[in-house]
Amino acid sequence: MGVDRRKAAVFGGAFVLRLLLLVLFPSLPDLLTGRVEVSTPVTSFKRLQEGLFLYTRNVSPYDGGVFHQAPLLLPIFSLLPSSQGFPLPTVVLYSLIDLLNANALITISESGWAVSGRSYSAIRKHIRWDGVTIAACFLFNPFTIATCLGRSTAVFTSAGILHAISSAVTGKAFNSMLALGFASYLSIYPALLFMPLMLLCYDQRAQTAQTFPSTTVFALQHLAVFLLSIAGLLGVSALLIGDFRAFLSATYGFQLLVPDLTPNVGLWWYFFIEIFDSFREFFLGVFWLHLASYMGGLTIRLRRQPLFVLSSLLGIFAVFKPYPSISDASLYFALLPLYRHLFPLMRYTFFAVSALLYATLLGPAFYHLWIYAGSGNANFFYAITLVWSLGLSILLADTIFAALRDEWEYDNPDVRGKDVKQV
Amino acid sequence: MSTKNEDLSSSQTVSAHSDHIMTVSTTSQRPPPPEKPEAIRTRFKVIAAFWAVIIFLGFPIWWKTTSIYRASLPIPDMIDWADGKTCRPVFPLEIRVETPFLPEPEAQHLVRTTQHTLDDLNEFSAHHLRLKLSNDNGDDPLQEPADTALTVRLLLQEDLVNPKSELQHDTTQLDVYYTPSQVPPLSSVNPPLSAYIAGELQQLFTEEKAIIAQILSDSPATGAAATSQSPSAMLSSISPQLAESIAKRLRRSMKYADTYHLAFSLFTPGAEPSSWDIQAAVHEYIVPLLQAFSPISNFTVDTQVQLYATFAPTAPAPEYDEEHAAWTLKPEDLSAFINAAEWPLSPSIGPGPTINFILYVPEAAQSPLVVKDSLATSWVVPQWGGVFLLNPANSTQLRHLSREDLQTAFLTFSHQLLTLLGAPATPAALPFRLQTLTRIRAASLLLSASSTMGSLARLTESLPSIPIPATVATSVATTLSHLTSACEHLRRGRFQAALADARVAETAAERSFFEKSMVGQMYFPDEHKVAVYLPLLGPIGVPLIVGLLKEVKKAIALRKARQVS
Repeated sequence: MGVDRRKAAVFGGAFVLRLLLLVLFPSLPDLLTGRVEVSTPVTSFKRLQEGLFLYTRNVSPYDGGVFHQAPLLLPIFSLLPSSQGFPLPTVVLYSLIDLLNANALITISESGWAVSGRSYSAIRKHIRWDGVTIAACFLFNPFTIATCLGRSTAVFTSAGILHAISSAVTGKAFNSMLALGFASYLSIYPALLFMPLMLLCYDQRAQTAQTFPSTTVFALQHLAVFLLSIAGLLGVSALLIGDFRAFLSATYGFQLLVPDLTPNVGLWWYFFIEIFDSFREFFLGVFWLHLASYMGGLTIRLRRQPLFVLSSLLGIFAVFKPYPSISDASLYFALLPLYRHLFPLMRYTFFAVSALLYATLLGPAFYHLWIYAGSGNANFFYAITLVWSLGLSILLADTIFAALRDEWEYDNPDVRGKDVKQV
Repeated sequence: MSTKNEDLSSSQTVSAHSDHIMTVSTTSQRPPPPEKPEAIRTRFKVIAAFWAVIIFLGFPIWWKTTSIYRASLPIPDMIDWADGKTCRPVFPLEIRVETPFLPEPEAQHLVRTTQHTLDDLNEFSAHHLRLKLSNDNGDDPLQEPADTALTVRLLLQEDLVNPKSELQHDTTQLDVYYTPSQVPPLSSVNPPLSAYIAGELQQLFTEEKAIIAQILSDSPATGAAATSQSPSAMLSSISPQLAESIAKRLRRSMKYADTYHLAFSLFTPGAEPSSWDIQAAVHEYIVPLLQAFSPISNFTVDTQVQLYATFAPTAPAPEYDEEHAAWTLKPEDLSAFINAAEWPLSPSIGPGPTINFILYVPEAAQSPLVVKDSLATSWVVPQWGGVFLLNPANSTQLRHLSREDLQTAFLTFSHQLLTLLGAPATPAALPFRLQTLTRIRAASLLLSASSTMGSLARLTESLPSIPIPATVATSVATTLSHLTSACEHLRRGRFQAALADARVAETAAERSFFEKSMVGQMYFPDEHKVAVYLPLLGPIGVPLIVGLLKEVKKAIALRKARQVS
């Protein structure tokens, strides 16, 4: 009961904090919605409002060229009262989704998959935080709160991914694939998580059932479920939106071809402003392949820790996807505390954390200098996004190094606790 | 960006090679434990996974997105057209001779001798006149008949000392009057009537011939041919007066365009007149002319009324001339008459040039307003339009301009329009001038489209890195086929059809030459590609290639070891 009371306190506290911020600073949600760090062209709440306006007037929401999000969000939001007059219901909805995500995190943490798998178990598995602490880390993370109040629709993608993982670790492989299908439907990139997630489901099944289902059959079954869930969602969208082709090009075409180069915390916008037009298609391909190529390598190398592969891939996406925002970083930071046992093995924590803090504090300032004060230029903001990406990359590389070190010590019990150096 | 890529990719190499690059540095310098076979396999798989992405996805994307699509163009044909090897434009003008009062053999004899005289007079072979009796119905009934450039009617008239000729103003017909005594006998070799008719015809076509010679000699394709019958030889033979008038005409007239926009503007410095019967006036005086021009160009008509249109502050004000009791503008100040800064005269109503016609009604206090010395009330602004000063008949201010008030102005405008469109000044008959213009335009469009083809061919040959979209190849094919048929029509004397084909050819040629997607990469040498690829792909590529090389080396070593053992 004590644990439950803690959980209730954390959840209640997080919920009240969000409402309190709304009540004390009524302009905060709109301010955050307008920030490029929070809202990207594919997750912006403002653009969602535009799409909603068109949708409720029986015009195709994609007609204005502003709205690029999945059409299934529209009927959900059209049920809520207008966020202009009544901001409370929208914020309550987003807060509840945050709480659901936190609950999924607790499930993941309590399953113990982060520290031990089917054929592997971390050396330092006694060093870990319990689920409620991890949920608290997620719920009270300023990035999460900013995303929640900024009402970025990326939280729906995060919810899909987190529930896919939590269903996978509890053996509900079917639900897991459905949730991943939902996330991929909203924003394409989660489809890259299919491989490690499928392996996680397979390991889970193999561990509990003690029978080894055929790998190929298992993979094909889950691929079918995954594809069918996406097809189903697309079918429903086609019913909602008359012009299916326009819908595809406005949503997935937009996410794949990156025509909107509004600044964000990622690396693509500046690069594609600068590149020669004739090389644009080529480098679009290069950037997407770069993003996708990590999936195979990481999954094979860390075959014994599929959950860690999932977390690392989410970190990579937060750096290298076309329209990243701090909500992607907050998702990565949500999964990172699961690997408390790796923290002693990490070497550049201080550097990474200070780079991230530096970027967090200076980013808005430099953006202001560039856009509003006019005393800076695009390079100021881009330099900060470079530092931000550098910080995240170092953190990623460091955790991957720590995980490999841990695995290596597991394989070579005689060298435990010795210093290592990288050559 | 590159630093980060490197960072992450090197972290990948860490993951790939971690098993052998972590060495234990204890004081005892114990060697690291040996690699397990499964670790080696894993490493191989990781490297293979990265290379699989590169080979199966990366290379196709690279190939697809950076390959330059170059549709094949008929380069030799295009160069031949530009050099004038494919087509020598000729202008055989068919002239029908009607002889209602002459018996057949005599008529034929007259035509034959006249033709002979004409050929002797003509020193420009590209442009020649072919006489034909009107009852002579062509040599080949299957062939489309040639356009009749002129009809000569031989009419009998008593009491004439010399033959007399008269050009009809509303048709292309030349009436020649002669007395029965002047009819040449069948035996005469060079009868005076033939010489007279030949001289008249030669006279009529002098200006046209000079203009066409000018056009042909300006073009590098046809001007270079150094024969005695070449256009330059022809040009040197014309009188300096005529040469001057042709040059003046060329300076004044607009560049040829497929569509012209006519803008009629009423400007007045006061509040009145504030309305005009423009629709009726345009219908009455302009539309018939435009219809006559429709085979040559298309037209749109816009009108506007601008009240309180003042002169530019820098423009010299009109001066009062006691002698003529009129306000006068100095001829040298006419260029400042139009207040370009304030009068809304849009230079681009649509694609194609705008021809402005300005009707200026001076205020009562400054009326009548005329040009000093010549007392003219209208003038042409070269390559821009025309101006007409409408002075009210009595010096009361008009409230409304009726169709009758506009008559002089619009007749002047229609005359100015002819000048601006490049119609030759002589002879007076409008249908005749339009026919001449048809031939001139057909010639100049044919040459211009040919030279565009040549430029396009040279451009695509000299810049191997520019893409050639399929649309360009299609346009080139269209141009060449229409050029061929235009040339054929010219040869057969069907000038209307030739002009229609030449217009299509010119439009297609311009479209292909100014294709947007071609110029994007025009100035992108191959060395720049290194600068684009290397900084971005180098940091990713180096670890991948080094990893691959290590694997290959190991595989070779393993094979050697196996062979030894």
